[in-house]
Amino acid sequence: MTELATGGRRLVVTGTATAALLALSAVGIFLVAPEDADQGVIQRIFYYHVAIAITSLVAFGVAAIYGIRYLRTRRPEHDMVSVVAVGLGLFFSILVILTGSIWARASWGTWWVWEDPRLVTFLIVILLYSAYFMLRSSAEGERRARYSSIFAIAAFASVPLSFYSVRVAESFVHPVVFNSTGANMPDTMLVWFVVAQVAMLGLFLTLLQIELLQRRADDALKRLKLRLEGGV
Amino acid sequence: MGSGTQYVVAAYAVILFALVMYVVLLGLKAARMARETELLARLVEREDPVEDEPGPDGEGLSPEIESAGR
Repeated sequence: MTELATGGRRLVVTGTATAALLALSAVGIFLVAPEDADQGVIQRIFYYHVAIAITSLVAFGVAAIYGIRYLRTRRPEHDMVSVVAVGLGLFFSILVILTGSIWARASWGTWWVWEDPRLVTFLIVILLYSAYFMLRSSAEGERRARYSSIFAIAAFASVPLSFYSVRVAESFVHPVVFNSTGANMPDTMLVWFVVAQVAMLGLFLTLLQIELLQRRADDALKRLKLRLEGGV
Repeated sequence: MGSGTQYVVAAYAVILFALVMYVVLLGLKAARMARETELLARLVEREDPVEDEPGPDGEGLSPEIESAGR
C-alpha cells in the first residue's frame, strides 16, 4: 500500500473522531455546562478560545520537533511537517486573537489592552512566526529547509515566554485559569473544556494530515510532469 | 438575544467562518491538482494514442470501460 493510501485511511479515522468530538463539545458547551456566576453567558467563549490557544502552541511545538528531526536526518518530509505545523499554528493563533478580542470587548469593554503581557506576548509570537514564511521565501532548496528548521526551533523559545508572562507579570486583566493548584473552575465546566481541547487537537491533526497528503500528491504530480515533459 | 449572547455567537461564528474558508482554500488546491492531473492524462494519451484511443469497435478501451459499455 502506498504512503498516500495509508495517509488517506488515517485521515478518515482522525477526521471522523474529530467531527464527533466537535459536535459533542458544542452540545456540552451550549446545553450542558453551567453558566458562570461571575461572567454569565460570555464565559462560554472560554472553552474554544483557550483550547485553540493551547492547540496553536502545540502546533509550534510540533514545528520545532520536526525542525530538529530535519536537522538530524535531512529528510524533506520532516521539513514539510514543520512548515505545515507553523502554518496551522498561525491559523489557530489568529483565531485566538479574534475570539479573545470579542471576549475582551464583552468582558472589559475594549477590543485590546496593550498593558496586558499575555496579549502582547501572544502578538509577538504571531509576528515571529509570520517572519518564518518571509525567511522561507528568501532561500531555495536545502538551505531553505535548514534555515526554516533553525528558525522554527529558535522561535519556539517565545512560546513559554507567552505562557508564563501572565504569571510572572501578575496581570490583573487577563485571567489565569490554570495554575499550580489546578484549574480554577468546577468539574462540570472542566470536563467540557477537556472535550473541547481534545476536539481542537484532533482538528489540528486532521488539518495537518490533509495538508501533508495534498503536498505529497502535489509533489508526485510535479515529478510525473517533469518526467513526461522530459519525454522519459 | 442578549448582548452577552451576541458576543458568544460572534466568537463561534468567527471560528466557523475561518474553518469554512480553510476548507475552501483546500478545495481550491484540490481543484488545481485535478486540473494538472487531467493535463497529464491528456499528455500521456497524446504520446501513446494507439493504446488509449478506442477503435471503431471499441478496441483500445480498458477492460473496465469496455465492460461498463456493454
